[in-house]
Amino acid sequence: MKIMIVDDEQDVEILFLQKFRKEIKNKQLEVEFAFSGEEALKKLGDSGSPDVVYVFSDINMPGMSGLELLENIKAKFPKIEVSMISAYGDKENYTKAIKSGAKGFFTKPVDFESLKHEIAELLTKKLN
Amino acid sequence: MILVNIISFFLLYYLKKFFGGENFSPELKKYFKFGMLGAGILALAGITKIPPKLLFDFLSLALAGGIIFLIINSPELEEQKNLAVTPLPILVVQVVKFILETFLPSYYEVIDKYLAAAGFFAIIWAVTMWLNHRKEMKAIQIERMISKEKERQLFLAQERKEELERLVRARTSEIQNQKEELLQALNHLKSTQEQLVQQEKLASLGQLTAGIAHEIKNPLNFINNFAELSEDFLKEIQEEVQKENGQMDRENLQDLLEDVKSNLKKIRHHGHRADNIVKSMLMHSRGEKGEIKNTDLNALIREYTNLAFHGMRANPNPINVEIALDLDESLKPILLNAEDFSRVILNLTKNAFDAMRDKINGVSSDYKAKLEIRTKELEDKVLLEIEDNGPGVPEEIKDKLLMPFFTTKKGTDGTGLGLSITHDIVKSHGGSLEIQSKVGEFTRFRILLPNSAT
Repeated sequence: MKIMIVDDEQDVEILFLQKFRKEIKNKQLEVEFAFSGEEALKKLGDSGSPDVVYVFSDINMPGMSGLELLENIKAKFPKIEVSMISAYGDKENYTKAIKSGAKGFFTKPVDFESLKHEIAELLTKKLN
Repeated sequence: MILVNIISFFLLYYLKKFFGGENFSPELKKYFKFGMLGAGILALAGITKIPPKLLFDFLSLALAGGIIFLIINSPELEEQKNLAVTPLPILVVQVVKFILETFLPSYYEVIDKYLAAAGFFAIIWAVTMWLNHRKEMKAIQIERMISKEKERQLFLAQERKEELERLVRARTSEIQNQKEELLQALNHLKSTQEQLVQQEKLASLGQLTAGIAHEIKNPLNFINNFAELSEDFLKEIQEEVQKENGQMDRENLQDLLEDVKSNLKKIRHHGHRADNIVKSMLMHSRGEKGEIKNTDLNALIREYTNLAFHGMRANPNPINVEIALDLDESLKPILLNAEDFSRVILNLTKNAFDAMRDKINGVSSDYKAKLEIRTKELEDKVLLEIEDNGPGVPEEIKDKLLMPFFTTKKGTDGTGLGLSITHDIVKSHGGSLEIQSKVGEFTRFRILLPNSAT
């Protein structure tokens, strides 16, 4: 199963790779990274029918924001689940995200346990 | 002898008419009155031939002599002394005639003709002298009038001068007062200006706070996460090491150690990052003036553009904006007051965000806000351009943009000082600020700084 992380902070990649070290090692999980909304769309679009099932995106990024990316993904690839990660747990962004079809809304600092839980749920769903 | 009396009368009459009046003492007036009366009576007596000739002649001569004596001895008639000489030859002739007639009648018969001639010349002399005297008197009179006029003019001039001096004094004190008042107003303005600049500083710090909080949160999250991960990894390493010989997965051990090592590096890196953010925040909020030193302009731009962006995102009405940095990496550090110059970047980026927000709210949805920041090393200058694709600046307000208190923002949104302070800071670096714009397309702030790289 492949998920995608979108964040303008480069170190997020290493962080995720380490956090999901075991899952990646077991080949249960594949993680792709994009450092902007534009890059994410490009990576998703290039693979035709993308094998990415879940996108976690930061909201505040230069250029395309996470919310815009969410709308774009939902329009092009309605099957992909998208969750937002934001440094600001404001209501406005939250309602906007949920309205636009986001599955979840995580605030920074990310609680990796709940993220793992979310992904584990996804994995079991897939196995079933 | 009647002639002598006529001369006496005429002398008195003339003196009284032309020089008499106020100048004469009452005593002198009395003398003149009696003199004239005496001369008149004698003349009449001479005509009527009533008194004996001897007495008449004697009285006439005595009166004339008395008058001449009076003229010479009166201080009031000082200037008319010459007049006394006028009838003197006539008188002398008459006296000689009188003496000869009275005491030496035989002699008299002989020189009577000569005396007549002398008398004639004496009359001519008298007339000449008298005319001369008239002329002199007139000249004196004119001179006197001139000097009187001069005196009057002088007095007037003096008076005018005093009046002018009084006016000047009054005006000077008025101006002095005004100067004092202006000085007070100026001092007041200066302190107000300082307060406003400080307020503006704090306002921009306020806008930054959210950005700074966000910026600090990020490295702190990384530090926490990488520390937590390293702890987990170390536990795993411990477990691996405690395994029986042969069961130990060396590769896994190696990987974990690598990760821990890299994580510690990351922790240090993000610790530094947070530290720098706090430092720059302190730098920005301190009231004291920063110092001019070699500064990496590109790094300053990256740091403060980022802070401004996150500040804007965290404040009400955030907008989505693409930030394109096109920085000349060959640029060497230049002399900057980093504290001051960071405000140039903050003000101009904030200005751009505000402008683009207006455009977003005003036009159709396919508008994509974009902020471009460029640096370029020119021969002896460094170019910094901050360009937004917002609504642009109309020509008529372009010149006003840099003026203090000019703002297009409504209510309390803007102090109207941001761009004016920006301009001041650029000028204090020996640089120039130019605004290029096309309405509906772009606004470009073009800053040229001296290239002080060594």
